[in-house]
Amino acid sequence: MDKDKLAVLAVSESGFIFDPVTGHSYTANATGLKILELLKAGKEPDEIRSVLLDEYDSTEDEVSVDVNDFIENLKKYFLI
Amino acid sequence: MKLTVAVSGINTIDNPGPGAGICRALKESGMDVRTIGLAYDALEPGIYLDHIIDKSYIMPYPSGSREAFIERIKDIHSRESIDVIISALDAELPIYMDIEPVLKDIGIKMLIPSKEMFRLRDKLRLKELAEKIGVKAPEYMSCTSLADLHNAVNELGFPCMVKGPFYEAYKANSPGEAEGYFGKIAAAWGYPIIVQKFIQGDEYDVIGCGDGNGNDIGVFAIRKMTITKLGKVWNAVSIRNEKLIEATKRVVKGLSWRGGFEFEVLLEDKTQEIYVLEINPRFPAWVYFPAGCGINLPARMVQLLTGQDYDTHSDYKSGKLMIRYTNELVKDISDFEQISTFGETSEKGE
Repeated sequence: MDKDKLAVLAVSESGFIFDPVTGHSYTANATGLKILELLKAGKEPDEIRSVLLDEYDSTEDEVSVDVNDFIENLKKYFLI
Repeated sequence: MKLTVAVSGINTIDNPGPGAGICRALKESGMDVRTIGLAYDALEPGIYLDHIIDKSYIMPYPSGSREAFIERIKDIHSRESIDVIISALDAELPIYMDIEPVLKDIGIKMLIPSKEMFRLRDKLRLKELAEKIGVKAPEYMSCTSLADLHNAVNELGFPCMVKGPFYEAYKANSPGEAEGYFGKIAAAWGYPIIVQKFIQGDEYDVIGCGDGNGNDIGVFAIRKMTITKLGKVWNAVSIRNEKLIEATKRVVKGLSWRGGFEFEVLLEDKTQEIYVLEINPRFPAWVYFPAGCGINLPARMVQLLTGQDYDTHSDYKSGKLMIRYTNELVKDISDFEQISTFGETSEKGE
């Protein structure tokens, strides 16, 4: 995970993400925004899953799939 | 210190010149500047932008007589006492490179590349340039006939880019498309036509200005968000990409670049490697964008040339958006009469 890149990402409360290195912008939903904020705060994927399980009415499998998918998307777009 | 700066490329049309942006940047710099527009046609819009261009003159074409070109500048200089000329068109740079010593003798300063620098950034020498500055260049072949084109597309495969010597670039997906674009570009711009391997990625531009001693006096990077059919930036966002900024500084240092420039690159999606597409030897049409973000390169260039203190920092914010738009002016036919009959506009207020 590219923590330097993660640190410079501009993330607004609305879920709008701006990558100042590439100039690309993205929109994340509330769950994606939460995952991204936790990643920026230095949390590991397992910790993020725990936080989401506490906050959302979802199963462990659902949360795992969401977190993994979202992290893969971030990697795909060179955001982490 | 009152300065008079003459600027060309005031053709703010669909393929816009940088002149109007340069004048606007100068006017907003806080310097006391009189701006003179050097136009080649009575309908160049900059002639009529009298809020940023104080007076305009029609120039003889740079492809014509060198003597006539010099005489016209001397004639304008005798009335305007020009301190600096900022040349903003590719086609006139060769003549300015020739006559710069003559202009210097009469007190007109310019910051433009040497012939050797100009030669090195030629589109047909990209590989050499890329090696010099430590980036990649897409594979390309230069074509002057259909036989050359067929050979090039066989070699480079599809999709490929078919590019003009000066402007226009198209992505061709088949031999038929490549031939169509080849004919279209050749009819508009002549030869050679460049066929380039297609690299999947995003296009970025960096504007900068070199002092001729290997130092830059500011750089500013953007991602092109939308471009026109002629490949011109229409909307853009400022970015902070250190890899790109470092590559730009290597261009300035490696070539000891003198003057404004635009470094056009592509970042490959798969590898994020930098491919140089082109170096334009003058400020680009979007030169006002960095000025609006605190990197006023035309003003810094004028300050450098006239012995004033100037900034060299490149501290700007990423995430600033440039929105280009079209607009209309309503003028009187007598304004057109004045410039087309006398070759110059009236003084403001006359």
